[in-house]
Amino acid sequence: MIPTFGYLTLALGFLLAVYGFLTMIWGMIIKSSTWRESARLALLLIFPLVSFSLIAMLIMLVDNRFDVAYVYNVTNRSMPLYLRLTALWGGQSGSLLFWSWLLGGFSMVFAIRMRDKAMDIFPWAALILLAILGFFLAMNLFIDNPFEQYWYLADGGWTIAMFKPSGAWALLPQDGQGLNPLLRHPGMILHPPALYLGFIGFAIPFALALGSLAAGRKDGRWLEISRPWMLFAWVFLSLGLVLGMRWAYDVLGWGGYWGWDPVEISALLPWLSGTALLHTSLLQRKRDGYKRWNVILIVLTFSLVIFSVFATRSGVLASVHSFAQSAIGPFLFGLLAVVFVGSIGLLIFRWRGLKGSHFTEFKMSREVLTLISNLVLIAILLVCLFGVLLPSLSERFSDTQITVGPAWYERITGPLFLLLLFLMGICPLAMWSGISLNKNKNRLVVLLPISLLVPLSAWLLGVRSAYTLVALWLSGAAGLVILWEYVNDVVNALGQSHGFFKALWTPIQKARPRYGGLIVHLGIVLMSLGIIGLEGLQQETQVRLLLGEETALSGYQFTFEGLESSAPDVERLITEAELSVSRKGRFLGSLYPQRQVYLDMNQAYSQPGLRSNLAVDLYAILADWSGEGEATFTLFVTPLANWLWIGAGVLTLGTVIAASPERKTKKD
Amino acid sequence: MTTPKTSNQLKFLIGGVLFIAAVVLLIISATQATAEFFMTVRELQESEEDLTGKSIRVSGAVIGETINYDAESGFLHFTIAHIPGDEDEIEKGGGLEAVLHQAINDPDLPQLRVVYEGAPPDMLKDEAQAILTGSLNADGSFLAEELLLKCPSKYEDDLPNQVQE
Repeated sequence: MIPTFGYLTLALGFLLAVYGFLTMIWGMIIKSSTWRESARLALLLIFPLVSFSLIAMLIMLVDNRFDVAYVYNVTNRSMPLYLRLTALWGGQSGSLLFWSWLLGGFSMVFAIRMRDKAMDIFPWAALILLAILGFFLAMNLFIDNPFEQYWYLADGGWTIAMFKPSGAWALLPQDGQGLNPLLRHPGMILHPPALYLGFIGFAIPFALALGSLAAGRKDGRWLEISRPWMLFAWVFLSLGLVLGMRWAYDVLGWGGYWGWDPVEISALLPWLSGTALLHTSLLQRKRDGYKRWNVILIVLTFSLVIFSVFATRSGVLASVHSFAQSAIGPFLFGLLAVVFVGSIGLLIFRWRGLKGSHFTEFKMSREVLTLISNLVLIAILLVCLFGVLLPSLSERFSDTQITVGPAWYERITGPLFLLLLFLMGICPLAMWSGISLNKNKNRLVVLLPISLLVPLSAWLLGVRSAYTLVALWLSGAAGLVILWEYVNDVVNALGQSHGFFKALWTPIQKARPRYGGLIVHLGIVLMSLGIIGLEGLQQETQVRLLLGEETALSGYQFTFEGLESSAPDVERLITEAELSVSRKGRFLGSLYPQRQVYLDMNQAYSQPGLRSNLAVDLYAILADWSGEGEATFTLFVTPLANWLWIGAGVLTLGTVIAASPERKTKKD
Repeated sequence: MTTPKTSNQLKFLIGGVLFIAAVVLLIISATQATAEFFMTVRELQESEEDLTGKSIRVSGAVIGETINYDAESGFLHFTIAHIPGDEDEIEKGGGLEAVLHQAINDPDLPQLRVVYEGAPPDMLKDEAQAILTGSLNADGSFLAEELLLKCPSKYEDDLPNQVQE
């Protein structure tokens, strides 16, 4: 009953998308606002219908409906409520349903907000959204259906089908397979929805851009309307990536956060082009130019979103991400081709109309610096895309398959990321008219020596790698420049006889987009400190210790204090070790690395023992033991690691400030 | 004679070309230094080239009973069985999970002994797919520097166990 209900509401949603698509075209042909309004209502109604479908799925997940194949595959009786609910996106067909639901929700908000604005763009944009929604709903209905059930057949066999085959009867498994324990982590539970919100958020600007092209508009209206959507999409995409990193750090037990796995990279690609777009969209606001480039960037971003979904599900990339190869792969590839070729075709058709009058002068102005950062971002993007596609490309053109790993990516993108840090650092020093040494004399005299203190202190602490020192210097300098801006504005505000606390807030309030941007940059700088710590300063050792024995790693003493096994429930066996940590004879605390074995699932999970503060992360993995008196540990000492996560928080805050509506008129 | 406008454009062009050239150089040098050849176990063993010491990536099915971690030395040993490298072939064989299952039960398939310095990762278990980066030792075993493991999520092909009618 419930599976059928969920399937039928999904089918109705799909029919509405088809209806809306056709009526919108008809309404545009005969220029009837009644028909167009009917199509808009269809777009509004898809979300409630898919919501019913989603609720049906949630009820089944909570209610142990193991006769439904999806529920059987992603839950079991021992999983707590929140894990059952989040199992909605624990498997392929469920996550596709969740995806359609989010897209439906975004489209609904869009349809409500768009009612009175830009009436020439809206019908086209709605048409595009209806088509994309229809596509994903069709995938759920016909290719990857989450409501299918198990059936015993009359001939003694069994099958999975949506509707009862004749003579068959329901097959009801007693318990489900459950979610892999490695995925039961807050980071992994929130990572997919954050990423999806980011991915889908870019669908709206994409639809608006194409709508604007199709309607023959030559202005930047689509960008104005898109701005909040882009910021929304960008911040969730950023958070999705960072949550995945946190999960890897906490769960995979290798002390790292990013493995340059093709699927990881494919999620980074739209982030890179989206970041570029956020920057040049500001240029188009300011100058009569960059119209074509911004359309190219949004088309690229949305195409890469589809590429990323395709990469995760098609099995074409050799990846550790465990989504199985899916039948929807070829369809997604088809969608990708249509989106990319169609959009570029439309852009070429409208190319001449989008000519700007703006002339860019070659000097170190804020504009040119923004362009250079765009170039660097796109270069990183192309390098990553090349790396991801190289195995398939090399196999096509020669007999051997060539692959590239983390070392390859780090060698190429490392310097490019440093260049971005450098640009971030000098950008606030530049004006729109150019950079002037004279105007910045004060700042340079003060900031340059202070910024050099950062690598100098690192050197005194024993860091010898020139690369790491330069990276630290660039982050330090970029951070200081941003802080200087702020301190300067606060001092000015104090001069205008504001109270102290008011003076702290007034500059931000007065120029939210500018400060939003600066705070986002500060977040990136802090994240880069964390990354420098993880990439350049991490110390690692593997050591076998007898009870009471100690070992030293970068100035810290780790002593093996004991080992204890327990079985908290029927599902798990947990072995926990205690390592006490001291530095220069002073006791700091203990680490409790665990190894949990999930008996049913034949899966072990090494939970690191972690002590983390602003300066350093101490991280221990219990690798092996014999009896209670001897154990092997992998130990990591990682300076600055925490700043990666703190920076992500600052970045989020900055985006919120940038997106919040301005009260006063713009000032530059 | 150049007008100010074309000389301006020329500067952008030169800057852009220099930047692209630098990135291309980075790509070339990184590829020469770190690119790996992806091979199957069979290709690795039948290759007539001397591959000792070359950077290679190889994939295979982990044979669970061969996993042996020597805590004393810190070395991990296990054996992988050949699986096809080609996505289409894996599909023809019934999907990754089926291919992995067949591979470890077929003694006729080529196998490869693997040595890795480090503790066994959680995902290392019977019928997992191992993607290893490293090089061949002189004795024919594979010295892995990097270990990626993939356990295909069980998907709709299995009859659920513990069935109640």
